Amino acid sequence: MDRIVYLTLAAALLPAIGCKANPPGPMETRIVSSAKHHFFVGNKKQKNPLAATPDTIADGKEAFSHYCVACHGMDGQNTGVPFAERMSPPVPSLTSRDAQDYTDGQLKWVIDYGIWPSGMPGAKGTLSDDEIWSIVVYLRHLPPAGSLGEPEMYSH
Amino acid sequence: MHKDHLIFALLLITAGSQALMPKAHAENAPRHIEVTAKRFGFEPAEITLKKGEPVDLVLRSTDVPHGLRFRELNVNVTVGKGGTSEIHFTPNLTGTFVGHCSVFCGSGHGSMALKLHVVD
Repeated sequence: MDRIVYLTLAAALLPAIGCKANPPGPMETRIVSSAKHHFFVGNKKQKNPLAATPDTIADGKEAFSHYCVACHGMDGQNTGVPFAERMSPPVPSLTSRDAQDYTDGQLKWVIDYGIWPSGMPGAKGTLSDDEIWSIVVYLRHLPPAGSLGEPEMYSH
Repeated sequence: MHKDHLIFALLLITAGSQALMPKAHAENAPRHIEVTAKRFGFEPAEITLKKGEPVDLVLRSTDVPHGLRFRELNVNVTVGKGGTSEIHFTPNLTGTFVGHCSVFCGSGHGSMALKLHVVD
């Protein structure tokens, strides 16, 4: 029933949104965020098989640096990403409550399958399960914003 | 006569030790395994080892840099573009372990897997 309500609201918002990449309003953001957390992003109960250790955090940081930095920056907080604010929705800071409120299993799901229709692509097959779980560990231990500089690809 | 016995005994000891030496060496010699890595898979994709048996694992790349990692066994070997690397290890756990490429190598990197069975 709730799912029907969310879909109806989404359908009602569609003409207002159109195809132009405008920033989402507060209500749209709240509705979409709630829908993602409660309905669309699965795998809520799966536990991370990797313990948070300095080694697994380092592994996650390494894997993150291959696939995620182009949009999320080295620090997961978009540092140095020139288009982060121009996306619709904008690329979220991964230290935000919206991102951190996902369970480990949900973060794995988001990295596996992406989030449509945002720009977040799925990484399943491009990264191994082991690497994705290590990224989930890294996401729980992100460094201070700006502390790792900007992605190398934007400094040339 | 006594001297003859001594020579005979020495010959026996020498012959016996020579007969035993190669066997002992073969039992302790590490098992040699060769794995080829290329985008996006390992050949062979499945191997079986014995717990406690030392292994020389040679990883060969036929294209870009790759790696092979078994996290549970604390084994990680990397190889450069078109190169060869070797790692020595002794599996100390039984079970089936899935190794992954540990050097990002492109769009199918995450699908590279080698299944390792370790048996008693």
